[in-house]
Amino acid sequence: MIKVKDLAFSYTPKPFIENVTFEVNNGEIFGFLGPSGAGKSTLQKILTGVLRHYTGSVSVNGVNVKSANAAFYEMIGVDFEYPSLYEKLSGNENLIYFASLYKNHRDIDALIKSVGLQFDANKRVYEYSKGMKSRLNFIKALLHNPEILFLDEPTNGLDPSNALMMKDIIRLEKSKGKTIILTTHNMQDATELCDRVAFIVDGKIRTIGTPRNLIMSRGAAQITYSYIDESLEKFASVSIDSTAIDPSLLAAISCNKLSSIHSSEPSLNDIFIEITGRSLQ
Amino acid sequence: MKAILTSFRMLLKQLSKDGMLIVLMFVPILAGFFFRFGIPYLEGIITQAMAQTSVLSDYYLLFDLFLATITPYMFCFAVTMTMLDEYDKHIIGHLTITPLTKNGYIISRLGISTIISFLVSLLVVTFFSLTEWTLGKLICVCFLTSVLCIGVAMFIFTKSRNKVEGIAVAKLSGIVMLGLIVPFFLSGNVQFLFGLFPTFWIARLTIETDILSYVMVITVSVAWIMGVKIGFDRKMAQ
Ligand SMILES: Nc1ncnc2c1ncn2[C@@H]1O[C@H](COP(=O)(O)OP(=O)(O)O)[C@@H](O)[C@H]1O
Ligand SMILES: [Mg+2]
Repeated sequence: MIKVKDLAFSYTPKPFIENVTFEVNNGEIFGFLGPSGAGKSTLQKILTGVLRHYTGSVSVNGVNVKSANAAFYEMIGVDFEYPSLYEKLSGNENLIYFASLYKNHRDIDALIKSVGLQFDANKRVYEYSKGMKSRLNFIKALLHNPEILFLDEPTNGLDPSNALMMKDIIRLEKSKGKTIILTTHNMQDATELCDRVAFIVDGKIRTIGTPRNLIMSRGAAQITYSYIDESLEKFASVSIDSTAIDPSLLAAISCNKLSSIHSSEPSLNDIFIEITGRSLQ
Repeated sequence: MKAILTSFRMLLKQLSKDGMLIVLMFVPILAGFFFRFGIPYLEGIITQAMAQTSVLSDYYLLFDLFLATITPYMFCFAVTMTMLDEYDKHIIGHLTITPLTKNGYIISRLGISTIISFLVSLLVVTFFSLTEWTLGKLICVCFLTSVLCIGVAMFIFTKSRNKVEGIAVAKLSGIVMLGLIVPFFLSGNVQFLFGLFPTFWIARLTIETDILSYVMVITVSVAWIMGVKIGFDRKMAQ
């Protein structure tokens, strides 16, 4: 569906995006995960034909994005990082306008309802909160029922319940067979939504894999526990695959001396730090 | 094509929501009324007071040229203000990735408005001119001033980050009209110091129809537009 080979791009003479090669399969949610300034939005702008002064090859659904035209834009939907809305018009008027640029469009009222804006649809966007604008901007990308979606930080700045609503819509689009590129610096979103993620730092892809495999690659989860020994509380930890050979754990269990026990899975953020030497935040 | 017309209708909708811009569109007509009826009246008073046969009437052509220039100028200014608003709200960036595309957007803003402002200038000059205009001269001058204003629009858009800056840059770019006055007041080679103003050549070719003015007006206008287009394209590509 998407094929990128040896992509390089920079805003300045200094190299920035370099050696980027990856493919995204049909029907997949593919994540760009990386800290702020890594080049995720830039990469999305290249894939959507906004920035065309790159080297290497980028094709989306068989189209070289350097020659992206009206037909290409019927096929993709883009939610940029910043809302792009006419503030003097209502939410509804905005959607009607953007929808009318396409050959066909979905039921606008249903879309508005799907993000809970049905009671604000006739208010001017000027009066919307930041989160409401994000939600309106998000459904603006879905208006024409595009085959491929590019979503740049769609849950950024949303409260948990609205973020959940967005994630459900993203899963629903996937279930309809849509291919989705999801840009995020939120490891939770990436872990929950993405079939595969690319770790991006300083304009380069450091690794690509499924969230599960990346987490597993760190090795087994750790168990940490505490127990009472001669009326003192002691702490210890052991890898989850070695519990049978940890004498103090076995002793604590057999004598009912455990005072606490929990396992900790590494998060995608831990893996990210391990692989790239950088934190996501 | 459908998307371009839809986008143009959005331009009209935005203009209609902005009182200042509506007023601006009527400035050429108000100026036309004043020039056509106020100036000859003043001329009557002045010539009598100074006991001369003509004072202002020597410059009637200049008033006409001014009218042919401010008409597209006001149009392009109003359109540029809406474009700056759209840029500021990241809307241009979004329209670029719709079937309208970037070129469609530019056509719907600068292209269609230029055609309209060309037609309106034809009408304004026809109704309000103080001197005789042949159809050929009328079309030629209005075409040239309309093209000039595409350049001015691109210049204002490129050089300002928002409406407030846009208004300041627009006032500054009003200097281009200075070129209209030069051939009326300066004779000899010193007037060619203003040869970089397309308006200088536009005015000159209405006074003396020599081939030089035609060649120069095209050369200078094309050079200006190409120069301004570099920055414009860069800003549009963000
Ligand atoms: N239009 C631009 N011109 C110049 N530099 C830019 C532009 N847009 C982004 N950058 C720079 O490129 C880098 C990557 O930005 P971006 O792709 O937005 O990162 P991310 O989306 O991963 O946070 C940043 O250092 C940013 O300052
Ligand atoms: Mg970004």
